[in-house]
Amino acid sequence: MGLNVEGIRKDFPILQRKLAGKPVVYFDNACQSLRPVQVIEKINEYYKDFPACGERSMHKLGKKVDEGVDKARKSLQAFFNAKRTEEIIFTKNATEAINIVAHALDLSKGDVVLTTDKEHNSNLIPWQLLKEKGVKHEVVEFNNLDALNDKLTKNVKIVSMVHTSNMDGTSIDAKEMIKAVHDNGSLFMLDACQSAPHKTVDVRKLDVDFMACSGHKMLGPSGIGLLYGKQDALSKLKPFVVGGSTVSESTYSSCDLEKPPHLFEAGLQNYAGIMGFGAAADYLKKTGLDNVSAHELRLNRKITDAVGDSVELLGPKNPELRGSIFSFNVPGLETHNVAVMLDEAANVMVRSGAHCCHSWFNAHKMLGSVRASLYLYNTEEECDVFIKELQKIVKLLS
Amino acid sequence: MICIIALAVFSILAVFSASYRPLAAEAFDCVFRKATFRKCRTNLDQRLKSQITGKLLTKSPGLARFVYKRFEILSWIFVILFIASLAYTVYGGYNYALYGNCYGPEDNGGFCIYNALEGEQFSKIHAELEGETVLPTADDDPAMGPDDAKVEMIEFGCYMCPFSREAQEVVKQVLEKYGDRIKFVYRDFPIEQSGHSDLHMASNCANEQGKFWEIHDLLFTEQEVCAQTTGEEREKQVQDIAEQAGLDMAEFNACMKSEKYEDEIDKDFQDGLKAGVYGTPTFFINGRTIIGPKPLRAFEKIIDEELEKAENGS
Ligand SMILES: Cc1ncc(COP(=O)(O)O)c(C=O)c1O
Repeated sequence: MGLNVEGIRKDFPILQRKLAGKPVVYFDNACQSLRPVQVIEKINEYYKDFPACGERSMHKLGKKVDEGVDKARKSLQAFFNAKRTEEIIFTKNATEAINIVAHALDLSKGDVVLTTDKEHNSNLIPWQLLKEKGVKHEVVEFNNLDALNDKLTKNVKIVSMVHTSNMDGTSIDAKEMIKAVHDNGSLFMLDACQSAPHKTVDVRKLDVDFMACSGHKMLGPSGIGLLYGKQDALSKLKPFVVGGSTVSESTYSSCDLEKPPHLFEAGLQNYAGIMGFGAAADYLKKTGLDNVSAHELRLNRKITDAVGDSVELLGPKNPELRGSIFSFNVPGLETHNVAVMLDEAANVMVRSGAHCCHSWFNAHKMLGSVRASLYLYNTEEECDVFIKELQKIVKLLS
Repeated sequence: MICIIALAVFSILAVFSASYRPLAAEAFDCVFRKATFRKCRTNLDQRLKSQITGKLLTKSPGLARFVYKRFEILSWIFVILFIASLAYTVYGGYNYALYGNCYGPEDNGGFCIYNALEGEQFSKIHAELEGETVLPTADDDPAMGPDDAKVEMIEFGCYMCPFSREAQEVVKQVLEKYGDRIKFVYRDFPIEQSGHSDLHMASNCANEQGKFWEIHDLLFTEQEVCAQTTGEEREKQVQDIAEQAGLDMAEFNACMKSEKYEDEIDKDFQDGLKAGVYGTPTFFINGRTIIGPKPLRAFEKIIDEELEKAENGS
């Protein structure tokens, strides 16, 4: 069953609008996706109908909040096929989720952490800075099992890898990598920011220990993310942001710590964000991620066929290996200039620059790329607009 | 070098709108860095270049290409034009302060937006000149100075116009300075809006008794009082002025009643219209115009030139 794109588009208010007299062609979905009314209404519902505290208030409004949060947690548990709702921890974004693991895992001198060479800064810097504790961070080639095996030693405590690169859209064979890591007795963390919005990420099938993703890349509100932790993996974490909500009891000199997920959700939460995130997961589940990725692939193929050869493509030519991302350089033009021109000419909104993957671009002596990233509401007509304007830029200016 | 223009434009806009302030700051940073031979940090120049090119891409791809490829040269041209026009503006301002018009001493009546305006310093009528301009003559209107003076200055003035009153001071200075070398004629141009031709009538009646200039001066000094009165009160006011001017009141009242100068006033007005007068005061100095109460030096400039011309010619 294909996607009813026309119907989907009606759910997104911004797509009904025009900017400077032209419709918006939003191709910056890898940064943040647009939001459907279902999510917007969910957020509003909290603020309008029960804008109160969760977890501690016995009154009717407080109960409503708890119900809403529980429902969202269940939606996300189902979305990622987690075994328990307690394994779903809400964070403010994926970066926070990764930082929680990096700092709560209590790594010490001599321990080794591995990441790939294509990490977003959010899955690089938290590990890199552990060197102050004497923890060694090493890089292995993206999606190269042999390279990984070469680096897997006894000292490797955790391997954290990006599932799908936000830079070029390529993905790792997560299952294979995770198995190798587990065989080595190490933990595995998956940065699913760019995969979760587009394809099924089944944490149980993959058998990840930790997984991070952000709500705002998958139709959810800004400022909400998620850390999935397998129950026994979570038990290895020592919380470091503590206070309200993380204890059940305290005296002047002692406290009883809560269990996950509350142990990692200190202070009052972004309830509207959490509920909106739940609604987003429901929306995607209902739409069917297989439909979403098939649709994106069709669009990406169209773009690749039309302009793939006239630009310097990042990653493999085959769009199947790049999913929803078409990342490129126009010879002789700065990436930001291309992005500004596309925006000015036809409201085509793309991302340009290093996409928070400076390390990779620096290693490859490149400044960055222009990235068009697609999602379920994008259309062939929008691709035509993008292709037309890009062809003009290539033909006239490069 | 587009940043220089951006800096100037955004700085001006920033005065009015806070949203332009970051852009102005960015442009400043850019100019500063460029001035010290570094790359513009925020790439403002690149962004502007891309924005302009992007806009043009949909409209005229050829032009977009041209602009993109030659952006640096084009922005230099704009910077030079910008600085040149800035310099001209300053020069114009300097001239205006010094000579009362933005062309400077060489002004030969060309179009100059600052010539007549300092705000709109004249009372305007909504007349449009049809047909050819006919320069006014002294006609039989009240005049001062010898008939064979080398310079003839005709004023179209209105007794209810505050600008005419203001100009009165300068006219006095002009007449004092040039004495016998200038003939000054005053013609009536009661501006439509005021509809106060009674004052002009009074001055014509005074002229009968050889007391035109006396009442002329009084009408201007008493302008505000006149403006505040209407009907009978106003009539009384005019009579007071006539009395002050030392007129024979019986004769004056009879004259006023007869309204016999209505045609005369209308003729002045029509002559003014034919000459293209659209506001008061308008001066014709040997046919060259000054509109509004200009400083003395503006009059001096024209009169001196005319005097010189006459001397050289004879
Ligand atoms: C692969 C990847 N990891 C991590 C992040 C950071 O996500 P967040 O903004 O939710 O912290 C991003 C966001 O761009 C990403 O693309």
